[in-house]
Parts: sequence; C-alpha cells; structure tokens
Amino acid sequence: MVESVAAAAVMGIQMGCVYAVIAIGLSIIFGIIRVINFAHGAILMLFMYLGYYLWALWGIDPYLSILIVVPAAFGCGYLVQYIIVRPLFVREKAYVVEPLGVLMLMAGFDLVLSNMGLMAFSPDIRSVTTGYTFNTIHIGFLILNQARITLIPIVTALVFGLYRLLNRTELGNTIRSVGQNREAAAVCGINVHHIYALTFGIGCAVTALGGCCMLTFVPLEPSMGLPMAINAFIVVVLGGMGSIPGMLLAGIIIGLVQAIGAQFMFGTYAIIVSLVIFILIILLRPRGLMGRIEV
Amino acid sequence: MEQETGMRALAQRLGRRVVIIAALTVAAIIPLVVHNPYAIHIGILIFLYGYLATAWGLVGQSGQLSFGHAAFLGLGAYTSTILFNQAGVTPWLGMLAGGGIAMAAGAGIGYPTLRLRGVYFALATLAFAYSLQIFVRTTNWLGPIRIGAGPGLHVLLVNGGNAPSLFQFPSKEPYYYIALGMVAGIVALSYYLNRTRIGYYWAAIRGDPDAAESLGISVARYRIRAFLLSCFLTGLGGTFYAQYFLALDPRRVLGVSLSIEIALVGIVGGWQSVFGPLLGSLVLIPIGQLTRAQLGSSLPGLHLLIYGVILMLFIQFLPQGLNSPVMRGLRWAEAKVWRPREYSTYERGGK
Repeated sequence: MVESVAAAAVMGIQMGCVYAVIAIGLSIIFGIIRVINFAHGAILMLFMYLGYYLWALWGIDPYLSILIVVPAAFGCGYLVQYIIVRPLFVREKAYVVEPLGVLMLMAGFDLVLSNMGLMAFSPDIRSVTTGYTFNTIHIGFLILNQARITLIPIVTALVFGLYRLLNRTELGNTIRSVGQNREAAAVCGINVHHIYALTFGIGCAVTALGGCCMLTFVPLEPSMGLPMAINAFIVVVLGGMGSIPGMLLAGIIIGLVQAIGAQFMFGTYAIIVSLVIFILIILLRPRGLMGRIEV
Repeated sequence: MEQETGMRALAQRLGRRVVIIAALTVAAIIPLVVHNPYAIHIGILIFLYGYLATAWGLVGQSGQLSFGHAAFLGLGAYTSTILFNQAGVTPWLGMLAGGGIAMAAGAGIGYPTLRLRGVYFALATLAFAYSLQIFVRTTNWLGPIRIGAGPGLHVLLVNGGNAPSLFQFPSKEPYYYIALGMVAGIVALSYYLNRTRIGYYWAAIRGDPDAAESLGISVARYRIRAFLLSCFLTGLGGTFYAQYFLALDPRRVLGVSLSIEIALVGIVGGWQSVFGPLLGSLVLIPIGQLTRAQLGSSLPGLHLLIYGVILMLFIQFLPQGLNSPVMRGLRWAEAKVWRPREYSTYERGGK
C-alpha cells in the first residue's frame, strides 16, 4: 500500500514536472502577450514528432535531440507570432484587454496543425525505446526509472534558467516591460513586435523541451495535443498566470493528483478530478496559487 | 406619398421582410422540387448547424466565447435518448428535459467563470466538454442509467422508424421541416432579443464591459443569462441531433472538434450578429460536406484543416464575419432598388 502510493507519487512528480514545463511555455506567452495559445498542444505534438523522427531515422537520443528540437521550436514560434498573430495586434491599436480575436485565430491554427499532423503521421501510436528505457535505480523501496528521472535535473535547470533570464537580464527586463505596458515600452524605443515574437519563440521552445523529456515514456499519437493542452490550461490557472514557480508547484500538484488518483480510481477519472480543481480554484482564488495578475 | 403600382409597391410595403419571406419560401419549396436525399441531408445539416451556431452566438452577443458547446448538445442528446430508451418518455418531452440538464450544467460552469474577465470562460467550457467526453466514454452504467461508454447509444426504433409522436420519421423531409422551423425560431428569438432591454445590455457589454458596468449593468448577470439560454437551446438541438442520426457516438457528439465546428460556423458568419451564424452555416457546411465526401476516405481531417484555414483567414481579413458585407449589400439594395425615393434625400445629403 505505502509502496504503491510512493511509487505513484514518484511517477506523479515526474509527470508533474513535464506538465509544469508545458504550462510554463503557455504561461510565458500569456503573461507577456496576453494570448492564450490554443494551438499549444498541436505545437507540442509536432515537435515531439520531430524528436521521434530524429530518433527513428538517425538514432539521436531524445534527451540529446533537445539541442536540435528546441532551437527549431524557437524559430517556428518566432515566425508564427511574427507572421500570423502580429497583424491582429497591428490592427487593434489599443491595448488588447480581452484578446478573443487572437484566441479564435489560435483555435483555427490548432485545427490546421493538428489535422496536418493527423494526415502526415497517420493515427498509429508510436513510442521511443532507448537503451535505458527499462533501467531502474532502487532507493529504499522506491524504484526510479532512469528514462523518467533524467528529466528532473533538466526541468530544474530550465526553471531556474528561465527565472534568471526573465528577472535578472536586460532581455528579461525588456520582455517584462512589454508585458506590463505595451505602449510605454514602445515609447521607450523597444520593438514590441520583435519582443512578442521572441516571447512566443521562447514559449514554444520551452514546450518543445517538455515534449522531448516526455518522448522517452509517453506514447506518441496525433491526437495527444489536446489533452496535453487542456492539462496545461488547468495547470496555468491553478499556478497563476504569469508565475514560473507557480507553474512548477501546480504542475506537480496536478501530476500527483492524477497519479495517486489513478491508484484508487480509473485512470480516466484523473482528468475529471483536475476539472474539479480547476473550477474550485476559479471559484475560490481566481488568480491562482502564486499568480500576480489581477483578474 | 403617391402610391406606386406593381412589384415595387409591394416590395416597398413589405420592406426588408421581403428577403426573409423569399428565403423561407425557397427553403420550404426545396424538398418539394429536389428529391435527392443527399441534398436534403445537406439542407438539414445547414439548418442544424445554423441553429447550433445561432444558439452559440447568444454567448458571443454578450462578448464571450464558448469552446465547449458540444457538451451541451451532447447532454441534450443523451438525456432525451436515455429517457426514451429506458423510461419510454417521448423525445418531444425529453427535449425539454435535455435542455434543462444542459442549462444546469451551464450554470455549474458559468457561475464561477463568468464573474471573471478574460479567457477563463473559454478555457472552462473547453475543459468541461473534454472531461464530460472522457467521463461518458468510460462509464457504461451510472447507477441505473445506461450511458453506453465508448460505443455510445442508439435510439430504439419504433415501428421501423415511423412514429411521429416519438420524433421518428421514415424519410428525411419531416426532419428538414423541423430543422427549418427550429432555425427560423431561434433566429427570430435572437432578432427579438436584440430589440429588447437585454439585447441592448448585451450590446453594451460586448462593446465595453467596464463602461457597461459603470452604467449599472451587471455584466456577470447578463452574461450568465445569455449563456444559460444558449445552453438550453443547444440542448434542444441535441435532441434533434439524436433523433435525426439515431446514434450517439461520444467521440463525435461530445467531441471538441464539434465544439470548434459550431464556434467556427458562428465566427465565420459573424459571431456577434443575429443572422451571421446561419449565413456561416450556409457557406461552410456544404464546403465541409463536399470535402468529406470527396476526400474524406483518403485524407481524414482534411475538412477540419480547411475549416481551420478559413477561420484564420476570416479572423485576419474579415473579423466581423460574412454578416457585415452581406448586410451592407442588402442595405445598398434596399436603398437603390426598393425604396429609392425615401433614400434619395439621404443619398444627396452625403453620408
């Protein structure tokens, strides 16, 4: 009993870290551009397939493929924002308060990407098997899978790195200033659209990194984007939009709830429990656990 | 004003109503002339999606977006089907129960999220629809109620499908006229509401919620009313869906892609207008159906891809939807053709 709960908890923390990374990507984009990236799941799915094909065709290890997938995701994200989303911002001169137009645009983009994925990759389920997929490390009664445990230092490094990037560097200051007040930042000589595109690129890159970490233990299919995106939405609302530590906390909470819940209930009920958490947090504390954005 | 004779005088007396009467007449005559069941089927789908998108558009009129309307459609469809299959309640009554259940679910989602600004409502509706689908797909029996899990439910056929009192008809034509009646009814309702106090409140809220609030309009209350009405009407549409297709596949009826299709039809038509969603349905549904019929087997998902591209193009280049140029055209026609005299001074005086 204790062992199985502990094993589930370990699993939940690992999964939660991945949820957190994906949610951080979503949250950075929301915090600065005020755009809910509806196509987040589809973007994640596409870059996971990129990682998969790097492994399947050239045998590049999924964790190593981060070095290729993440820059590619950054570039694509930059272009998506610059080419597809920017015209809406140019048209709506005033500060976008309720960016429903952009939300609809991204919903359309999600339809395009996910159905392109469906047509290109066929609905078959694929998975990556590496030399260490079945390696385990025993610590007391805990059994840790090497493929999964590798992601924890990567995620930790990412969270600290991003936090420092946004809060301690010149670029971070610029990005945050654009997030706080677009007009004032533009008056100070900042190229707002460049910063927006950079932010979107960073968001996509972070998400793709989460996808690479997942590759070793989550099976791939074209329809996987939507559940991942919904999970990320829930994590973002729980953690508080715009807060990176909040995402990590919320991601781990959701991961734990789902993994431990799956021990006692059907696995699919986990998503319903997450929904209840989502509604409760909106009811009781809409800004989320660590959010700073007033609602 | 001297009376003119002939068609122009008639048109003058009828005014804008002439367009509506002509459209209704054409729609009512089509099944008498066209006997191709596939054409009738597309007609039914146009009306069904027009109905659903207009119901969805009521939320849009209060300035919010729902990405989970399939959930309310599904609740209506499942409720009436379960009531009929297990208790023998006629779907004509089950329809109202389905609408009620959909409205109750809408209250559960709407009350927490519509108090807040921003995207919470859109996210919550999406998450709710997705969770409901997972729940239905994994639950066969909920207490004594059979939900049917993954394979879904079938509406029991009575008398080989010939039972009008049980909302079952042997041919497509009755469904066509019911759908036509429903879509005409909902557009009339939306038109009427736009001319009452609540319609003006919605217009104020979608224009600027803060300004509306400062004038004493409770934004949350009127958004919730719009949403609950929309849920109820969508639930009614769900029963029609169940009775027309006679089978409920949770992946389809409760699917996120259906939610997005409903939203898409509304957005392309004009998501904050009265006639827009029906216009969107008139244009999009034939495109989607023909693509699916031609290429659906070789390229699954192609029609959704096309829908996505259309949606992106509309948001970029025509965010008000088809409604705005069509209405401008009608107004122009009215000024030039039907009422040249009344409009001549207006024209001469500049804009």
